[in-house]
Amino acid sequence: MASAVPPPRRSEVLSLFRSLLRTAREFADYNIREYTKRRTIDAFRQNRDLSDPSAVSAAFSDGKSQLEVARRQAIVYSLYAPKVKSVMEIKH
Amino acid sequence: MASKHLTAALRRTSPFRSFSTAAATTAHPPPAAEPYDDGEGISMKGVKIAGRPLYLDMQATSPLDPRVHDAMLPYNLSRYGNPHSRTHLYGWESDAAVEAARAQVASLINASPKEIVFTSGATEANNISVKGVMNFYKDKKRHVITTQTEHKCVLDSCRHLQQQGFDVTYLPVGPDGLVDLDQLRSAVRSNTGLVSVMMVNNEIGVIQPMEEIGKICKEFNVPLHTDAAQALGKIPIDVEKMNVSLMSLSGHKIYGPKGVGALYMRRRPRIRVEPQMNGGGQERGIRSGTVPTPLVVGMGAACELAMREMEYDERRINKLQERLLNGIRARLDGVVVNGSTERRYVGNLNLSFAYVEGESLLMGLKEVAVSSGSACTSASLEPSYVLRALGVDEDMAHTSIRFGIGRFTTEAEIDRAIELTVNQVEKLREMSPLYEMVKEGIDIKSIQWTQH
Repeated sequence: MASAVPPPRRSEVLSLFRSLLRTAREFADYNIREYTKRRTIDAFRQNRDLSDPSAVSAAFSDGKSQLEVARRQAIVYSLYAPKVKSVMEIKH
Repeated sequence: MASKHLTAALRRTSPFRSFSTAAATTAHPPPAAEPYDDGEGISMKGVKIAGRPLYLDMQATSPLDPRVHDAMLPYNLSRYGNPHSRTHLYGWESDAAVEAARAQVASLINASPKEIVFTSGATEANNISVKGVMNFYKDKKRHVITTQTEHKCVLDSCRHLQQQGFDVTYLPVGPDGLVDLDQLRSAVRSNTGLVSVMMVNNEIGVIQPMEEIGKICKEFNVPLHTDAAQALGKIPIDVEKMNVSLMSLSGHKIYGPKGVGALYMRRRPRIRVEPQMNGGGQERGIRSGTVPTPLVVGMGAACELAMREMEYDERRINKLQERLLNGIRARLDGVVVNGSTERRYVGNLNLSFAYVEGESLLMGLKEVAVSSGSACTSASLEPSYVLRALGVDEDMAHTSIRFGIGRFTTEAEIDRAIELTVNQVEKLREMSPLYEMVKEGIDIKSIQWTQH
């Protein structure tokens, strides 16, 4: 599958990481927002020590497709965001 | 009893139907904009809260995972074909999506895609299993074994069978909620047609010893049906290891859409059922009716996600459950966990608070969406039959609260839930004369109450 694709450079991986976190912030829903942030950080941390280049490429392309999903869904969720936020977001 | 109706009604109704209890303060324009949440907090059913409650009721239903929603959307928008249309692209692409989803569901339980039948939910799958199997084999097999803690749909189907003349044995459970294997063994007769035991209980979260039960069923050559709606995607399921012949699966408990489920039916050895939905012969004749492609695709995506995320979710939810239980226990005494603590699914925590009345506790917990007992029984005033089967005292059964933790629950939500619960329980106990007596050392059970 990824035999001809070179593994991503460090800057590309970092850029993907930052894009995912930025997209996470755009979710209108408190729980989804927190989950996206947390899952991104945990997934990148878990894959930090991958050495096999095809595994790294696979993880990177998986991350990129997740980014696309997150971008689309952040838009959809914001279109239908309830007027009142979660109690967790309201200062108390 | 207002809060039980409140929780049930809130779950049942949508904002677009008018309410029979006219507690909402604003007028109701037809469909669309129901101004019950107006940017300054929510007022509904006479209750005012500042924001949407934090959701801790994962056993009732779970939110859609955005990745699942993303997989479903194309089939709602442009790929709207009927999967049974054989003559054009719309049908072909829809059918391809259904078959792909079938494979996703099958691989989560180690089955073959040919063994998966899509239904409208686990309730329908339970109905097909119980009534369908017994009606198919009704000449030779007249006996069903099930437990007292099964889901209402299984118990109701069994009652229906009893009215038709079948025999049903309802096995009792121990105080930990687990089935006694020796009792099961001795209950099996030569004309037993089905054993039905749910894998993970929806109220108390107890995990039954499915592999041992499967061994007993194999020994006596009785088909085993299990309702795995709460177990799918949460604990590892292997239909081969558990020797299960029929399994009911639900979409909306694993962050998938509501209105879809599946029935696993073993092919070797083949189990036959009498279909409960007759029609054009879809789903191999077992369940006629157009297969709802968007829902089915959603369920498939949810299953695939669950397979990938099971370990990560379980680790997190386990930590959250410990945090919740320890947090509550650190500040309150008289807290009892209902059901076995060892054999339980980590995301289900059913607690009883002594000397506190359940309804008043729920009324004060409006910022936390929890349930007392299960949604199916919340309409009646009786305490849950599951807790009664465990042998829990009436007063403790009334004060049970079920906390459901899921993939999207945050630590902050757990901490807030602890704070709200502890505050409310302390407030109620302070007002309670029973609690005062207990603190003074009087044994409540030895009191002779006088009649006036």
